[in-house]
Amino acid sequence: MTFYAPFCLPFILGAAVMFLTLAWKWGKWLWLLPRRDKMRLLRGLPTRRTLQAVGEVISESLLHRRIFRVNPLLGYMHMSLAFGWFLLIAVGWIETIAYLGFRYVPLQGHVFFKYFATGLAHKPVFDQLMDLLLLFVLSGVALAWGKRFYSRAMGLKRTTKHVLGDRVALSALWFIFPARLVAESTTCAIYGGGGFLTGGIGGWMADHIGIMPLLTMESVAWWFYSSCLGIFFVALPFSRYMHIFTEIPLIFLRRYGIRSGEKESSFDNFQVEACSRCGICIDPCQLQSVLGINDVQSVYFLRDRRYNHLRLQVADNCLMCGRCAERCPVDIDLNTLRLNSRDTMHNVPDERRYGYFKGVDRSSGEGKVGYFAGCMTLLTPRTLSAMTTIFEAAGEEVWWADREGGVCCGRPLKLAGETDSARKMMKYNAELFRKHGITTLVTSCPICLKVFREDYDLPGIEVLHHSEYILRLIRAGRLKLEHGSTRFTYHDPCELGRGSGIYDEPRAVIEAVGELFEPASTRENALCCGSSVANTAISDGQQVQIARSVATELEATGAEVIVTACPLCKKAIGRGTQRQVRDLSEIVAASIK
Amino acid sequence: MAAINFGYTISKPRVIDLDRNNLRKSDEILREMPELQTCIGCGACTAICTAGNLTSFNFRRVHTLVRRGEYQGAYEEMNKCMLCGKCRLVCPRGINTRGVVMLIKRKLGDF
Repeated sequence: MTFYAPFCLPFILGAAVMFLTLAWKWGKWLWLLPRRDKMRLLRGLPTRRTLQAVGEVISESLLHRRIFRVNPLLGYMHMSLAFGWFLLIAVGWIETIAYLGFRYVPLQGHVFFKYFATGLAHKPVFDQLMDLLLLFVLSGVALAWGKRFYSRAMGLKRTTKHVLGDRVALSALWFIFPARLVAESTTCAIYGGGGFLTGGIGGWMADHIGIMPLLTMESVAWWFYSSCLGIFFVALPFSRYMHIFTEIPLIFLRRYGIRSGEKESSFDNFQVEACSRCGICIDPCQLQSVLGINDVQSVYFLRDRRYNHLRLQVADNCLMCGRCAERCPVDIDLNTLRLNSRDTMHNVPDERRYGYFKGVDRSSGEGKVGYFAGCMTLLTPRTLSAMTTIFEAAGEEVWWADREGGVCCGRPLKLAGETDSARKMMKYNAELFRKHGITTLVTSCPICLKVFREDYDLPGIEVLHHSEYILRLIRAGRLKLEHGSTRFTYHDPCELGRGSGIYDEPRAVIEAVGELFEPASTRENALCCGSSVANTAISDGQQVQIARSVATELEATGAEVIVTACPLCKKAIGRGTQRQVRDLSEIVAASIK
Repeated sequence: MAAINFGYTISKPRVIDLDRNNLRKSDEILREMPELQTCIGCGACTAICTAGNLTSFNFRRVHTLVRRGEYQGAYEEMNKCMLCGKCRLVCPRGINTRGVVMLIKRKLGDF
């Protein structure tokens, strides 16, 4: 039995191009990984993490469980295409073994087995099983067609605008399975056999079409099927479908603890090319939903970065609120990637910068607890005086790090891409904290909190957001609060919630002083106030527009007072509403017995 | 004849001659950030400035000079900014001041 026919050529060529390109890309990226990451990879290989990675590959690359959480129909569509195709290949492989035993069969022999196996005695179990799987995949293709016309059925208001290369690959992919159905059915019509699907259609064709046209049709159909596969395979490594194979090494590398950082690295390639451009990140983006900006979302950012035509306007125009990353089915570290793109574009290493920091220390007071107000809190003096009241009521001795003005925490500079300069501030502040011997550092600004926790080297100093600190005081009985009847609603600041994972503490504090009403979008799904320091592109008017839309949702809860735990959010939302906007510390200070 | 030194000097003229200054960069900056033209020069940005609180950095002065074509030292001055963004919140004209800082640095980096 020979496993070659001329029509196999497009498939063989396509597969060869694809596997060579994949090997080249992965080899290069792995080779260029920093030494530290290579060591992580080697050390991780013989551990349990490898098994966990295999599990994640099955649940994400094949079953797409995270997409099911976004929308079940969308999840089914992705699963039927990925898992269905995988099963077609795997069961097809078993089928060949069942027919021929363990012997070498070239790749095209497996893929076009129906064409070559016409002379063998049929095994109806496999015929039926393979037809069932083909139907499974075809249902996914049908849904994908449907999604073009009515994406809302799958929970997507907007879908990705694709580039030409993606459209070519997409069309080839959509034709692969119908072409396979026709090719196999024609073969069944001539030689008999086949399951309920190919056999059924084949029988019908045998009844209605003469043998000569059928023979011509068979040749055309197999050529077409093979060409579709060939085109798709050639396009795969250069289009969005690169995600099919890239997500697998990404999952493994991530399990071994390799992460993207503030500087671009070779690992970023795995993340960037693992993006399938599914477009799930478009709907959560408030720049899209409120301002109608359509070309800066993570999907477009990653695409532009991958093809090396990333523009400053795209990289800079992002609130970095993290709503998209929260929903990304591939779990790509979208904010970090954007950040290190900005670093490449903006970072200017300058040794002489910030020479004026030398000897600046305007702190006052003494104590084990240090309070870092942060620039934005200095702009919201009510928060500052509320914190003073709280510290006094709790009898805490406080070292005020920057009440009379201090050096910024460095996060705004980092978010703007000037990471080397940001390091100077981090170093200055960290030295200041160490010099004063504090053991707890409290800040009322989530922007500062995130950078203190993630980028500062502060051994022996516990970093707390004021919501956590106040809750501790309440639980320890050091703050006696009066529970009133005021109705509050709470706005989750991005840097505090999605950024630092603090959701429950502020809510517990609010419930200690009044009633809490949750807005429609809350916790991980909370909206951004729009004034994020990460965005240097949108105008003042656009910021207010976003603030209004957020305020509308908060007002809809019927609460009298909008509470937040970030001075910047407070300022921003205050511009979009007539209601009272208060910082958490203010409502606490006002209800101290 | 050597002039007699009475201990008085004449200050260097502080006139900015717009006809003589090269306004190309300034025009580019205004084109990308037209809202800068709405600045009323109130100086709130400078009063609130975190960097200005610690050193002689004066945002209002620097961007005003840049707009008039006086680029000397502007890049180095702008590099004192910490980009904390307080100025943007207090600006009565809602100018994207952080954007202005980054734009001026980008345009004048190699000056």
